Amino acid sequence: MDGLYNAIYKNFIRDDRYMYILNGLKITIIIALAAAVLGMVIGVVMALGKTSKNKIFKALASTYVELIRGTPTVVQLLIIYYIIFGSTAVPKLMVAIVAFGINSGGYVAEIVRAGIQAVDKGQMEAARSLGMPYGMAMRHIIMAQAFRNILPALTNEFITLLKETSVSGFIALDDLTKGADIIRSMTFDPYTPLLTAAAIYLVLTNLISFIFGKIERRMRISEQ
Amino acid sequence: MSNEDQVMIETVELCKNFGELEVLKGITTKVNRGEVISIIGPSGSGKSTFLRCINLLEEPTSGEVYIEGISVMEHKKDINKLRQKVGMVFQQFNLFPHLKVIDNVALAPIKVKKLDKEAVYARARQLLARVGLSDKAEAYPAQLSGGQKQRVAIARALAMDPDVMLFDEPTSALDPEMVGEVLDVMKQLAKDGMTMLVVSHEMGFAREVSDRVLFMDAGIIAEEGTPAQIFSNPQNERTRAFLGKVL
Ligand SMILES: Nc1ncnc2c1ncn2[C@@H]1O[C@H](COP(=O)(O)OP(=O)(O)O)[C@@H](O)[C@H]1O
Ligand SMILES: [Mg+2]
Repeated sequence: MDGLYNAIYKNFIRDDRYMYILNGLKITIIIALAAAVLGMVIGVVMALGKTSKNKIFKALASTYVELIRGTPTVVQLLIIYYIIFGSTAVPKLMVAIVAFGINSGGYVAEIVRAGIQAVDKGQMEAARSLGMPYGMAMRHIIMAQAFRNILPALTNEFITLLKETSVSGFIALDDLTKGADIIRSMTFDPYTPLLTAAAIYLVLTNLISFIFGKIERRMRISEQ
Repeated sequence: MSNEDQVMIETVELCKNFGELEVLKGITTKVNRGEVISIIGPSGSGKSTFLRCINLLEEPTSGEVYIEGISVMEHKKDINKLRQKVGMVFQQFNLFPHLKVIDNVALAPIKVKKLDKEAVYARARQLLARVGLSDKAEAYPAQLSGGQKQRVAIARALAMDPDVMLFDEPTSALDPEMVGEVLDVMKQLAKDGMTMLVVSHEMGFAREVSDRVLFMDAGIIAEEGTPAQIFSNPQNERTRAFLGKVL
């Protein structure tokens, strides 16, 4: 019992070291949330590109997805930080949001594309036969149905995204992982800070599953 | 020109290829206001493709399609306007599964025609009453039988106030006991003066309701005439062979 108290005192209470965890958690959540929104927007646009008849739009979207899926997240983050924003004064937090948003967008694009293509072809035809323009049919008929079907896959993507933000330390951002690691380097106790960080990630990922599970169930009920 | 003779749909030498496959090989015909036309013929003869070329769900390879005198091929930019004049009912219903029945019917008039919501919903309820489904307004398509789904699909098409209705085998996906309820709605529609093109294997309907029967075979109209001519005195060998199989 004394050991546990000592560990907690040393790692979290002394010199307000818990602030590394708290501030890190804040950074992690901000990056994950903002990147998720950005990734959704990019993903939907790219999915529309991949399913579009416009050859240029389609080629651009396909290239984007291949680039994102074919390279490691950390490398993308470093390239965006050092090369693309290298000579600018854009805050690191912003860079991270953009980098993880672009990354997530590539995966969301594939999820949404699969969702669009899983909707029966007759749906688009019925909508068009009623005089709906392509964009309107896409939004009110196709996307509306695709979204329900891809919710589980999107949940996975958001969980992955949250975990991926743990490489933010590579651009010297003090996220949750980095915060825990800073404590470790001060106290030379790897167990307490790292297991604490792991537990917090676990709570967050479960929270995402829980929330999306609720949304999913509500949508199913409304169709019964 | 009297109202009766107004040409609603006209096709001239309409051709459609899918790659190498020539599916329509020059379809020329006219449909006048109020006419009910049945299109019969063996599977694969191009009946669906013909209907789908009329509202440009398939793009014709060559030839002309006129909707109320306007060339569809020359007005592709206005296709959404032209399609509003031509309702379509599909074999597989294609109801929107994520929307309630009433919203299936009301969505297009609200979004496409930008009509007043309350007026649209009132009219949607009237249309559901007309197809005998007032009590299903708040249901989802998954809760309906096949016959009910197809009647909703008809109401949905009618909600756009089309001048012409295209039916592509509207009863082929139905259990036999549900065919009648859909045909009854179509008969009533015909009686009310709707211009209709109906692809169907329901020979009873073709004989009883239509003004003209087109027999399609291998991408052409092999024979056409009144139901009496086609069913009682077919001239073409192929028509006779086909009718021999289905009657
Ligand atoms: N989208 C398509 N791509 C390729 N071939 C098609 C397509 N649609 C129809 N066909 C072919 O065209 C022919 C006519 O089909 P269809 O018009 O559906 O005939 P029907 O409705 O009289 O049974 C068939 O051989 C069919 O396989
Ligand atoms: Mg067919």
